[in-house]
Amino acid sequence: MKQPVWDLPTRLFHWTLVVLVALAWWSAENDRQALHLYLGYGTLSLLLFRLGWGIFGSSTARFSGFVRGPAAVVRYVRDRFHWPSAGHAPLGALSVIALLAMLFAIVGTGLIASDEDGLSSGPLAFLVSLGASETATDLHEDLFNVLLAFIVLHVAAILLYRLALGRNLLGPMISGKAELAPGMVPMRPGKWWAALLCLAAAIAITRWIIAGAPPFGT
Amino acid sequence: MMVSKRALAICGIALLAGCRAQQDGNEANSVVNSAETRNAATAPLSNDQSLALMKERHEHMEAFGDATKKVGNALKSSSPDVDAIRDSSSRIEALAPRLLSWFPQGTGPEVGKTRAKAEIWRKPEDFALKAHDFEGAANEFDVAAKRGDLGQINTTFDALGKTCKACHDLYRAPKKD
Repeated sequence: MKQPVWDLPTRLFHWTLVVLVALAWWSAENDRQALHLYLGYGTLSLLLFRLGWGIFGSSTARFSGFVRGPAAVVRYVRDRFHWPSAGHAPLGALSVIALLAMLFAIVGTGLIASDEDGLSSGPLAFLVSLGASETATDLHEDLFNVLLAFIVLHVAAILLYRLALGRNLLGPMISGKAELAPGMVPMRPGKWWAALLCLAAAIAITRWIIAGAPPFGT
Repeated sequence: MMVSKRALAICGIALLAGCRAQQDGNEANSVVNSAETRNAATAPLSNDQSLALMKERHEHMEAFGDATKKVGNALKSSSPDVDAIRDSSSRIEALAPRLLSWFPQGTGPEVGKTRAKAEIWRKPEDFALKAHDFEGAANEFDVAAKRGDLGQINTTFDALGKTCKACHDLYRAPKKD
């Protein structure tokens, strides 16, 4: 029997993020600055939501449930990728943390970035010097290439699990459920209202940042 | 009427672009100055002159960018610093009429590192027309800034941005680093 592994908010977060990042890439390459900014705001809201859900969410969404040290990663690899409970195994957890950190860095630099012609800029660019904004813009672009590399690794790992270990990781990220071996601990769900509160807080913080942060600009 | 006026303006600009010769004989000037004011049609630029002019062009373009960034930042504030906007608008307005003179023959990608596309010299009339639009928009923006009306500043600044973009979309190669 299939058992719950990923909750709905986590799955929605994941796939919405995929769409937003793809569109943000497209909009940047095709000079749709206004759209690019909105996609950035959306991504920021998603990331902030994920932080909240990582504290108040289901057992497999919580950071405390999957963030582990290097020793656990080594043990996991030595154990031939065996992990006794549903959720992120130590290696997958590394990928989640790296992807989230990179996305935060990209969105953060985007907030103070500015295009070279000064026609479009992030909502907090006016708070920093032109030089700082330029540096942030370069980082914003360079870090995106790092993110792309991480995404390639992420997808390659999922393919490898499928081909080398015969494990389907894509299905559960869509349906939320997976066949668990006997004795494996399934997901303990979170509260739906906690998800809504996390989302509301994420949107509120995003709006506050867009408005120009502390006392709404100067 | 409008059409013929516009056509006249294009011809005028094209003429200016092609034949503006300032034979002031001021050879003591820097390489750049003589490159900027020399007669493009008759005397080809030396390689040094081209590179010096391209470097100066790059710096001027960055100066435009810095000025527009400052305006954009000022306009984001709830009570914009109109003096800062005026400072930028007058710098843009002062440089804008010189823009066309930074693009003589022989300062394209075949000579050195530049994002200026070769199309500029294949469509000199269109390029001159767009430079002219930019000059006009820069002037209107400066007038609005001097008047200090924020509504007008916003409208004319948007219009100015469109004239930057009009050229950059067609004649500037993507950034490579």
